Amino acid sequence: MIDRRSLVRALGNEDIADWVVIQRDQELAVHDDEGRRTEQRTRWQLTIHADTPAGRGTAHVEIDANEADPDKLVAETATLARLSAGPAWATIPPAAPARVDLADPSLATGDALAAAAAIAKLVPRRPGATIDARVTLVRESVSVQARQSFHTEWSATLARVEALVVQGPRGLSIAREARRGADLDVVAAIDEAIADLHLLASATPATPGPCAVILAADALLHGGLGVWDAFAAQADPVVARQGLTRYHEHALIAEGSDAVAEPLTIASDGALAFGVLSSPVGDEGDAVRRFPLVTRGVAAGLGLTPREAAMRQRDPNGGVRNLIVDAGSWDERELPQLRAIEVRRLRGLAIDPFTGDADVEIALGVDRATGAPFTGGTLRLDLIAELSRARRSARTIHRGPYVGPGAVLIERAELI
Amino acid sequence: MTRRELLEGLGLASAYAFAFGCRPPPKPPRRALEEVSGEVRGWLRDAVAIIHGAGLTGHALAVSRSYRVAAFDVLGATANQARVDGVVLVARDAHGRREQVTSDLTGEGITDAVHALVGKAAPARVEFGPPAPPPAVPKPDPAQLADSALFDSLATIAKRDQGLSSRIVYASDLVEIDDATVWSIAEHRDLEQRLYRVRRQITRVAWNGTRPIIVEASRAWAGGFNDQTFSDDELAAARDTALALMTPGSFPNGEHDLVLAPDVVAGIVDAAARVLWSSRAARRPEIAARFTPDKMIGSASVTIVDDPTAAHAYGGFRFDDAGEPATAVTLIDRGKLAGKIGHGLRAGHTGVLEPMPSHVRFAPGTSETALELKAGYLLEGHRDVRVDPGSDRVVISVQRALEVAHGQRTGRAYAEIELVGDLAALLTSITAATKATRVIGLRDERDGLPRWRSVEAPWLRARGMVRARRSQT
Repeated sequence: MIDRRSLVRALGNEDIADWVVIQRDQELAVHDDEGRRTEQRTRWQLTIHADTPAGRGTAHVEIDANEADPDKLVAETATLARLSAGPAWATIPPAAPARVDLADPSLATGDALAAAAAIAKLVPRRPGATIDARVTLVRESVSVQARQSFHTEWSATLARVEALVVQGPRGLSIAREARRGADLDVVAAIDEAIADLHLLASATPATPGPCAVILAADALLHGGLGVWDAFAAQADPVVARQGLTRYHEHALIAEGSDAVAEPLTIASDGALAFGVLSSPVGDEGDAVRRFPLVTRGVAAGLGLTPREAAMRQRDPNGGVRNLIVDAGSWDERELPQLRAIEVRRLRGLAIDPFTGDADVEIALGVDRATGAPFTGGTLRLDLIAELSRARRSARTIHRGPYVGPGAVLIERAELI
Repeated sequence: MTRRELLEGLGLASAYAFAFGCRPPPKPPRRALEEVSGEVRGWLRDAVAIIHGAGLTGHALAVSRSYRVAAFDVLGATANQARVDGVVLVARDAHGRREQVTSDLTGEGITDAVHALVGKAAPARVEFGPPAPPPAVPKPDPAQLADSALFDSLATIAKRDQGLSSRIVYASDLVEIDDATVWSIAEHRDLEQRLYRVRRQITRVAWNGTRPIIVEASRAWAGGFNDQTFSDDELAAARDTALALMTPGSFPNGEHDLVLAPDVVAGIVDAAARVLWSSRAARRPEIAARFTPDKMIGSASVTIVDDPTAAHAYGGFRFDDAGEPATAVTLIDRGKLAGKIGHGLRAGHTGVLEPMPSHVRFAPGTSETALELKAGYLLEGHRDVRVDPGSDRVVISVQRALEVAHGQRTGRAYAEIELVGDLAALLTSITAATKATRVIGLRDERDGLPRWRSVEAPWLRARGMVRARRSQT
């Protein structure tokens, strides 16, 4: 059976510029109302860079199977790399891996299915509501070895709860993901969903018109990073090099974005302790680093793979990972003069990755003046511009890959 | 055959470790999967027999699959490959289902997995029935298809697309191949299939004012690598559409007569099938209440069938991942809700089992020619579809709306348009469909595992609320 030593020996026999081998030994457990599932697997990722007269070629091969012949695997991958020639670049010497804790001791040992069942017990029962939850627990031990005598190992855990909360004729789906069981915050998520189902029961159709918009946490982070995904897309270095991003490094992200009272600052932190997207190194053996995306309204950085970093004469940083958004000073009880709506749940969020324009489809909103809930309606938001001048709450939350204000206030929008 | 020969044949383990200790062995010739299929089925049969011996009902599903992708873009060529083995052992009783999954597709690995699942029970006598005939090998034989052939095929397309302009700021050509051999063993069932799926895609991007216009065209099928390619017309259409200048000024938001291109129809059907028309979706009370049997949710022109048996369908199969033989299920019959997607599929054949669409066909109409429109818009270039399970509201984003007035194209073309409203109202507004159809193949991932499906759709004439996604520039 293939092992790291045999792969490394085979790699040493090939004339290649650089390589990285990642071994992931994974154990998964799934617990839901329909059954139980456990899984063991070993995933190998082999990345080879080969220099050719036409430039440097790269090939990635993933193996989740028992391969017999490491020499053949390496030879085939090297051939593939030589066929894939692109621009020439040289590997930057590896930096030290990020020091980051990723494993919850209470989830990392013992029977995985029992640990998943223990998380399932965190899902509360509430009168009048049915909660259909699926818990997934992933444990992994990762080993990374690269050509330049670089070797590192770590362990990680990741728990995910997906639930359908039903009360009467309506249901809401929720999902929470965390490295530690205690960070899942499942009880609050379920109780908030039940409270919103109560509001939905009396919701009336939305009334179009100008309004101020408060994006509450579930709307702000719809589907994961939610509206903040607009900034992650702008930090793609390949897209940036093609000139397809909306703004460029060291430029204002939007007109006047540095002149507001609390200019927007966003960082990517792949070294955040127990962050769901944290990792000591990236998939190409590059050290993960915290780096700024936006600093006080000015575009400050890109997520750089080894290739993109080398072509810019910079250090790689592991790409965009957990987003850290600086909190503001907005007191959420403080409302603008204009009619204010609090958007609590979304039906859909579509963000144009190139422009940051977004269609925000509202599933549940509340008129803050009257407290009346409504459903439906669409907001058209230029997210880059709006978020650059939005007021951010002083209250912060940590949910999945996001740490930042729990709500934002956009002072002028049009509900259609 | 010895165990060592088996392992060598599958390429499954360093058999020399058993045979030669630390000495490097002579390289064994790798045997094709079809040659060792009998042994794999034997291991799976043994596992099912042990599950039955523990007083449970068993099912064993195994897959050996590979993925190859090659792409050319303005930055050069890239290539990725993946090879994955997996075995899913399922044990059921009256209390529910338990699954044990392993990537160790060897007799030893499967034995370990079944013991982890049900303990060391004595195997029961189980009747499996005759084995299925071996699946046909695609042509050209994938074992003979070198990586360079993928790049050569891309280069051929690039060479044919000679009209690329300097205004095209990004262009990419991609080909990807998924080759999966799947075995499914249960009582009275011994099945095997080979699913060889090919997808090609071209992308062209050009600036138009302050926004990039992105045009994608794709072809996807099951069968031989060379069975399909882009026609010269398709290449030219992708290029010319990206370069076409969009009309500045405001789009007249409102209710309009429409012709929906097949890619737009495919996007709607796929989203609705996944979100609304599956047996799992009906767990949501809003969906269960809205989609009752025989309820009219479309016009008589609307017949939609989930048909995994369709020949050469990218999303097709002979049996699903629960081991059930493929059958066509009519979802909507002339506007009336008729059935739900029930075939259980696993992402990558080893993920969590869930009902998923396979090859969904929107039945063609009778119109031999392009659908006529006195005034309205032709919507083309699917971007995304959002279906709200709670309300039936659908938002369909399209890249272009081409204006028609007095039965003729006016030449005005608006970018970034969306069609909004209730899905049932949209389906009810459909009055005609073309005889010609297009097939769109879809490949996405769940938990890092691939899912394949396809939609065959005609052009449709409908009516709906259309609006600009943002201010026009």
